[in-house]
Amino acid sequence: MVCVGVKIIEERIVEAYVGEYASGKSENAVNRALELVRSGRQVNLVDLDLVEPFYTLRPIKQELTNMGLKVIAWETGETMGLGEAGSIIKPEMRWALQRPGDVILDIGYGVEGAKTLNLVEGAAQNPDLKVFAVVNVYRPMTSTINEIISYVSELGLVHGLINNSHLGDETQIKDIEEGARIVTEAAKELRLPVVATAVDIKLKKEFSTGHDCMGNPVRFLTRFMQNTFW
Amino acid sequence: MTLNPQMPKCWRVESKPHKFCPGCGHGLVLKALGEAIDELGIQDRVVFGCDIGCSLLTWDFFDVDTVQTHHGRTTPVITGLKRANPDAIGIAYMGDGGGYAIGSQHLVNAAARNEKITVILANNTNYGMTGGQMAPTTLPGQKTETSPYGRDAEDIGYPTQGPEMVAAIGQKGAYVARGTMANIRQLKGYFKKALQNQMDGTGFSFVEALASCPTNWRTNAKDTWNFVENEMSKYFAVGELKVPDQLKEV
Amino acid sequence: MTEKPIQGERKMFLTGNEVVAWAALAAKVDIMYGYPITPQNEIMHYWTRMAPKYGKKFLQTEDELSAGFTTIGGVLAGKKAFTATAGPGNTLMQEPISMAEMMRIPTVVVIQQRGGPSTATVIYSQQEVTMTTYGGNGEGFRVVYSTATHQELFDYTIKAFNTAWKYRFPTFVLGDGYQAKMRESLHIYDPEEKGIKLVEPTPTLSRPGQIGVNREPNHIRNTYNTEEELYQIVMGYAKEYAEISPEIIEFQEQDVDDAEIVIVSHGVVSRAALAATQELRKAGYKVGYFRPITLRPFPTERMRAVAANTKKLLVVESALGQLNKLVLNEIYGLTTPIETLLKPGVGVTSEEIVTRIKSLL
Repeated sequence: MVCVGVKIIEERIVEAYVGEYASGKSENAVNRALELVRSGRQVNLVDLDLVEPFYTLRPIKQELTNMGLKVIAWETGETMGLGEAGSIIKPEMRWALQRPGDVILDIGYGVEGAKTLNLVEGAAQNPDLKVFAVVNVYRPMTSTINEIISYVSELGLVHGLINNSHLGDETQIKDIEEGARIVTEAAKELRLPVVATAVDIKLKKEFSTGHDCMGNPVRFLTRFMQNTFW
Repeated sequence: MTLNPQMPKCWRVESKPHKFCPGCGHGLVLKALGEAIDELGIQDRVVFGCDIGCSLLTWDFFDVDTVQTHHGRTTPVITGLKRANPDAIGIAYMGDGGGYAIGSQHLVNAAARNEKITVILANNTNYGMTGGQMAPTTLPGQKTETSPYGRDAEDIGYPTQGPEMVAAIGQKGAYVARGTMANIRQLKGYFKKALQNQMDGTGFSFVEALASCPTNWRTNAKDTWNFVENEMSKYFAVGELKVPDQLKEV
Repeated sequence: MTEKPIQGERKMFLTGNEVVAWAALAAKVDIMYGYPITPQNEIMHYWTRMAPKYGKKFLQTEDELSAGFTTIGGVLAGKKAFTATAGPGNTLMQEPISMAEMMRIPTVVVIQQRGGPSTATVIYSQQEVTMTTYGGNGEGFRVVYSTATHQELFDYTIKAFNTAWKYRFPTFVLGDGYQAKMRESLHIYDPEEKGIKLVEPTPTLSRPGQIGVNREPNHIRNTYNTEEELYQIVMGYAKEYAEISPEIIEFQEQDVDDAEIVIVSHGVVSRAALAATQELRKAGYKVGYFRPITLRPFPTERMRAVAANTKKLLVVESALGQLNKLVLNEIYGLTTPIETLLKPGVGVTSEEIVTRIKSLL
């Protein structure tokens, strides 16, 4: 009998980014997916934003594909009258978890946004699935500790928070730190970890320690979504 | 319950005699409505809305707050008002064209949402104000200006059964009836129940009233009554179609 | 009953549709009536999420006709009411607004323009200018604010309710799909804390009191018996509209005094026009910028003065000449040539304007 050795199965990464409208879900999902690609992994990025047809991955699908991602999304040209014809799920989206490699899911907003996960075959049973709620405290529904707690509590399954507090081009360090304090406090109450504070890559040198003022790890974001009108 | 010979108290004296044609059904229907308002003591709370078409002539008919709207659009105006001020008692008054043709989506959806308003629709089987064209309620074979050889039901369908339609989509608590100017005491009773239903906050209320239009029917008094009592009622069954529990004892 | 929706002044990062919902709350609006159409949907989404917390109401109607007419009903009941729509919905909205125009009912409608004609695109355009300024079977007795930034969307939505209730002409906030969906930061505030007095609404119908005792019934109509009667009414409105117009008119301008060419634009396009003006000035070109904020009433006097004082106008818009038609009409008689950069249903960048200006100078 020959021992063939133990086949090492690398842990698969399956992450879903949920959160309030315009909280930065897509930006965080895209950047996370690219980070994994850069570390040599095979990554699928799935656009499951069924509510908001405006800022989506469609316009940058080709660009992201060229960067090594497998992007499962509609392209603007192949969808007619988005927002009118309705939000349509592609069969590939439903079966996304059957694909080899890591899977990053960009989930839409709305009262029912987080429930979009129910449309993904096998999501509920997937042991690897981690759901992260993206929070920007300068957004109206998630601007205080209590609002964040009540918002995240309604989302269902959530494994961690991402502090994505910013004010667009006018963001200052103090704005991000204020967000970090509020989100960390809310996370403590929710007994959830703060997975990361997301910071625009332009501010990289201000966060050279790799941590924010609350000790949360920093993820640097390259902004893609501002170029994604429709 | 009797019908008094004198004017209802809530009728506006300054606008009488009214301007409906002699023999027109609107006068009788509005008398029954006026007495219903008087008997319920709600004159101060009523907001009356009328369509354009012959119902337009009611724009200063009552001593109650009144708004004249567009053809078919009285239902949403009264809906919007009632939603903004639930203490008001909203009455939307219209003809068969306004309710069953151009404004049918409003009638259907007000009923479906169980709006707490009262819609009263005078059915006289034609568009009177515009000169006697075919209406959704024109009887098979009836001649009008746009059905000069008589309504061909095979070609353009049978008359709209309004209350039956509203009753079918009406929610719990809705009141739906069809009365007739030929039985004015019964009609007044239907109006009172319809308004009471709104005051109780129970649901939508809708009453169709069969009404005469001798001018466009080109009928004398005898033939006019004959048409209302014997021709129209053959197709449009008079009676209550939907009565909420709290009104069943009334 | 409930706390104020906005206390103090807060810097927020919002989409334009959310801005409208917040501004309506800040303006103490009582009720919204609406029907879904892209790209205005999130106004309703956010209003319905926030309204119950502050004792406000919402009704989803069966179509835009109903949304407009229920809004009229709400206003007649003495409540601040509004609706929002776009494109084909705006087409339907013209029927109720013509009634509001005739009966001087202070309705407020927010338009987020989309591509046209017909259903076209759900994305963006400035093709609803003609319809919003002069739609319906009337004379355009309405006020139209064309906004360019989220801050303006907030400021002018609040202002729209004041204008409507003060002057009783139907008032529009004219945005577009880009503004609806774009995200940018702005200051939201409680207008009263900033000294902006909110005009109190009053009921036209269903007023308190007893008929014949301490009040008379109110009868209102939009139909008249004779041509002469209608003529009196319309001319009376026209006179009043002309008289109040100077109080309502707003515009924005930069570097027009010595400009050899002035860029005329409105709404979101004026952001590109302003950027182009600044860039060209830096490069030494004598370029000016003029932007009507009120498209109705139009800043005629200033537009004429600017046009008379320059060698050329360049009208830029995301439509095939709808702003241009207004400009032409207002400057009739002047001989200043008008050049155009017209892109129906398509956005305009500052680079395009710069290139165009350079080719014209």
